[in-house]
Amino acid sequence: MLGLPIAFAYPWVLSALILLPVIWWLLRLTPPKPQTEIFPPLAILARLITKEETPAKSPWWLTLLRLLLAAFVIFAMSGPVLNPEEARLQGDGPVVVVMDNGWASGRDWDDRKQAARTLTEEAGESGRSVVLLLTAGLQAESFNAVAADTALAVLEGVDSLPQKPDHARAASVLRQIIVDDGPGSVVFLADGLDRPGSGELVSAISAVDGQHIIQLPGNENLAIIDQVRNDPDALIGSIVRLPDSGSSLVEVTAFDNKGLTIARNRVDLPADEIRTEFRFSEPVELRNQIVRITVEDARNAGAVQLLDESYRRRLVGLISGEAADLAQPLLSPLYYIGKALSPFSDVREAGDANVAAAVPDLIGQGVSALVLADIGNLPEEASDALGAWVENGGMLIRFAGPRLAAASDDDLLPVRLRRGDRNLGGALSWETPKPVAPFENGSPFFGLEPPSEVVVERQVLALQDIELQQRTWAILEDGTPLVTAAKRGAGWIVLFHVSSDAAWSNLPISGTFVEMLRRVVNQSRSTGVNSGSTEDIRLPPLSLLNGQGAFVPPGPEAAPLVLSEGVVPTVKAENPPGLYGTEDGFTALNLFTGGETLARLDEASFGEAEIVNGYGIQEAFRLKPWLLAAAAVLLLLDCLAVLWISGSLRPLRGLARGAGVFLFVTSLALVSPDIASAQSDAVDEEGNDFSSTLATRLAYVMTGVSEVDSISEAGLTGLTRYISSRTALEPAAPIGLDLSQDELAFYPLIYWPISVDAELPDAATMARVDAFMKQGGSILFDTRDQISGILGGTASSPEAQRLQIILSGLDIPPLEPVPPDHVLTKAFYLLSSFPGRYAGGDLWVEAIGEDEAQADRPARSGDGVSSILITSNDMAGAWAVDELLRPMFATIPPDPSQREMSFRTGVNLIMYAMTGNYKADQVHIPALLERLGQ
Amino acid sequence: MVPPFGSRATRETSRETMARARARASLMPDLLVEARRVANNVFAGWHGRRKRGVGEDFWQFRPYVTGENLAAIDWRRSARDDHLYVRDREWQAAHMVWLWVDESPSMLFKSSLATVSKQSRALVLAFAMAELLARSGERLGWLGVSKPIVSRHAADKLAEALLAAPVQTEIPDGSTVRNFSEVILFSDFLQPVEDTVSKLKEIAQRGARGHLVQLVDPVEDEFPYSGRVEFSDPETGQKLTAGNARALRENYETLFSDHSRHLRSIAESLGWSYTLHHTNRLASDALISLHMYLMHTRRGAA
Repeated sequence: MLGLPIAFAYPWVLSALILLPVIWWLLRLTPPKPQTEIFPPLAILARLITKEETPAKSPWWLTLLRLLLAAFVIFAMSGPVLNPEEARLQGDGPVVVVMDNGWASGRDWDDRKQAARTLTEEAGESGRSVVLLLTAGLQAESFNAVAADTALAVLEGVDSLPQKPDHARAASVLRQIIVDDGPGSVVFLADGLDRPGSGELVSAISAVDGQHIIQLPGNENLAIIDQVRNDPDALIGSIVRLPDSGSSLVEVTAFDNKGLTIARNRVDLPADEIRTEFRFSEPVELRNQIVRITVEDARNAGAVQLLDESYRRRLVGLISGEAADLAQPLLSPLYYIGKALSPFSDVREAGDANVAAAVPDLIGQGVSALVLADIGNLPEEASDALGAWVENGGMLIRFAGPRLAAASDDDLLPVRLRRGDRNLGGALSWETPKPVAPFENGSPFFGLEPPSEVVVERQVLALQDIELQQRTWAILEDGTPLVTAAKRGAGWIVLFHVSSDAAWSNLPISGTFVEMLRRVVNQSRSTGVNSGSTEDIRLPPLSLLNGQGAFVPPGPEAAPLVLSEGVVPTVKAENPPGLYGTEDGFTALNLFTGGETLARLDEASFGEAEIVNGYGIQEAFRLKPWLLAAAAVLLLLDCLAVLWISGSLRPLRGLARGAGVFLFVTSLALVSPDIASAQSDAVDEEGNDFSSTLATRLAYVMTGVSEVDSISEAGLTGLTRYISSRTALEPAAPIGLDLSQDELAFYPLIYWPISVDAELPDAATMARVDAFMKQGGSILFDTRDQISGILGGTASSPEAQRLQIILSGLDIPPLEPVPPDHVLTKAFYLLSSFPGRYAGGDLWVEAIGEDEAQADRPARSGDGVSSILITSNDMAGAWAVDELLRPMFATIPPDPSQREMSFRTGVNLIMYAMTGNYKADQVHIPALLERLGQ
Repeated sequence: MVPPFGSRATRETSRETMARARARASLMPDLLVEARRVANNVFAGWHGRRKRGVGEDFWQFRPYVTGENLAAIDWRRSARDDHLYVRDREWQAAHMVWLWVDESPSMLFKSSLATVSKQSRALVLAFAMAELLARSGERLGWLGVSKPIVSRHAADKLAEALLAAPVQTEIPDGSTVRNFSEVILFSDFLQPVEDTVSKLKEIAQRGARGHLVQLVDPVEDEFPYSGRVEFSDPETGQKLTAGNARALRENYETLFSDHSRHLRSIAESLGWSYTLHHTNRLASDALISLHMYLMHTRRGAA
């Protein structure tokens, strides 16, 4: 009916619509009953009410209301159904419903469930039993067909699981079901993704002797976060989508462990790009708090990545050239480094004194950074291992010391060192110990307060090198490097030119040292923590994801996560993705751990199966209750209306008004977010406009002719300086406007020099100019042709013709030369003429009609400001000044007072544009005072 | 359906209103009726008039003037020096005050905006006045009901007399009113103005000074009706239907205030006072203004 998918259960009831005109006729005749009131001063009232009034008719809207009410009831009685449902199941025998309830079903799980429910109900109506086969979390080997009611009850308890559906297993179970139950129909409510075993499942479905239906979702917006890694400069992850997805824009949000948003990133997903990277470039301290990264609105467990400690804390290995002297720890070269590193990283000391063994051992533990304290010559294999490790992204931090100072050439240093060390402030030295110079921009230490108390007494010195400057991160006050660094491959080599104990300087015992080390270590790549122990660790579930990707408390079926040596934990039925451990330390278990790709189910393999696209759109919708509810609301409205007409609603009137205000405010609140966001977007895109709202500034039209534009800018700059020095107005620097793009509303007066060489503005631009003028803006057109034009430069000069062409697109009022009593002559200075670089031309403004009543006033006011001012005197030429504030052009004739007058003209123009006819009122003050008897 | 504004209240008896009237009257200071106009009144009251005259209490000594009654000389005082003194006594006089309350059906009207019916308020005001005046020793009477009473309990006696008397619906002719008495009439004065005027003039001709208290229900003044309303007159039962009552409001307000203004002008032409009292205001408001009118000597009316 009418193209809408509406069917009527009892169409003949609709014939009752014929009755509507009769109802209308009846309603027109019945007036509302009057309110009766006792009224003692009736005699007085009787003088007003002379005759009995004709019976009032019902207002038309009340009649309409009642007719609508009747129509609604009639329609409701005819039983309309939107999207009438069609029977989908055919044949007989048990119905097998195979349902994907893995992570990809989370988003529209309710629709899928509804689809399964509809199928089960339909099977129940035709007396068929149902087998419900869920592909994720599959435990049983086979299922018996059960009555539809039982299956419905089971279905109600099913939820989408944050797991990968096991299609291979489902296929084997389905084959068993075929053998056991002999189903007549099989319906596969798929999530549309191809995974190992999908082919088997599809072929198992084809093996059912009877009807095959496969229902597929759209999956246009299916996106997962595959893997996240915490690089030194950013947290980088990638969004994986189906191969044929269109371009879209998603928001990726990072939360901390309290669920607060830390960062938000818009990721533009280009069409047909499977894998898109996103980055969170927040400071490392913020990044380290991130626990959960989700794709906004994805609502599936695959679009969530959980991060644990391994993404934050760096593992740092320490190797010293000295044997650890446990009796005197304060003298150990590693003691201060270990203390300084421990707040933000896991410190591993070499278990072996042999450097050649310690280095591979620590590298094998997966350290992010390796600290070598005063190690001079490295064994060759250790040196090679270290070099390869650094090339692959390791961070090698070395501290100087007597050994390093004495070592021969070492490859693993950022700079070449001078043999031996430099002693400052000793008994045989002229020099005093040196403090640390402020950290320069570009150094990772930039921003740290240079430690004033730190002095360096000994250091190793770098050989002068052309790259020394770039490689220096920190220097002493005399310019000698304190920390140098060099990038090798993907890694870094950093050298502290002092020893790691307090022997050479007191840097290691200062607080700055901790910060410096933190920044150095944060430069390193995160590698994750290895447990390092061989025993299994059982971590209790802390917070788990559900099928929609939201955190839920662990249920009874969740089991502890077992971490075994060398085994990467995976998501299982009893180990759903989530956080395992305790609040203080937890391990994240993610559905996707990298290298994941998505693929669609191949529809070609479905054979003769019936394919249904999409879920939840074909649900039958019975309109009857809604129509009846609407009729009830109308009835209520009718009652209120009757009460209102009879005047019984007086006490409720205030209430109604309040309710009205409430409704208005609510609707406004519903609408306003869009408005607000639209505005903020506009400001974001046009930052320049925003700055112009903060300060008043003069503006000129950029004609595109650079000579003219530079004169305009110089002229307005000169005028701005003049105005600032002479008046209370202090405009900001003038601005050139592109009429076709820039917002004009912020400028009271726009200077528009006419140039023959300039392009004519197009119609859209002139429409903007017209709107600007109509909304109260003023434009000063300057043809600059007084000297060249004929008869004072009005009619026939090229510029004047050009102006005429421009103005032909505008709605121009009648103009007149400024009359002697115009406000412009008095707006700030008293002026009789308006010279610019030339003196002869008139200034034309909107004509103000001669008003008899104003004839004796000293100034004609008129309302508002003339939206158009035309001169031919080349105002900007007279105002223009160069960098030294010297006038750029001589006035014609060369008369200093003419320049002064031109500036005054400018001031008057601006004052006129800013204050309007205020001055016209101001000039009445003597007359007013006189009248007051002063 | 929201109930209508106006309703007909039950008639309150004088007994019920007495208690409330007492409460009102206890709030008022002793009422001293201005006695300028009762020079020849011989009935002695209990309260001094703050000037010399007939009374019992000492007021002042003043020098004897030749020609005065020798018996007036206070010899004890005169013996102290060479002058003769006369002992003046404070003038103590009672005053005749007539009260009357309209009890016609229109007075029984009470709207939801008011707390009491007009009749109830009128009785309260009348008894409160009676209580105050009786306290001051004035002679009190209820027009058309009782004769003048001089008693501390005059108000109670009036109330009892009123219980026995027929319902007062019209202003009485005032045949019992005599010169130099005060007449206080409580009514809504909704009867035709000509009838009211003729009655008032009749009383005025007897030399009495009157005080009109017009009781108005706020509904009668503000006319808050809207929509289609059928109005009925409690006196005559006449009915009128207004199609859009709200539209009548402004004109009605003008007419009603004209009515009140007319009454006031009549009262002023007779030299009487006029008080407009709304039943949603406190009874004390009217009582205070009545008190003021009774107390004050009107300037220029010697």
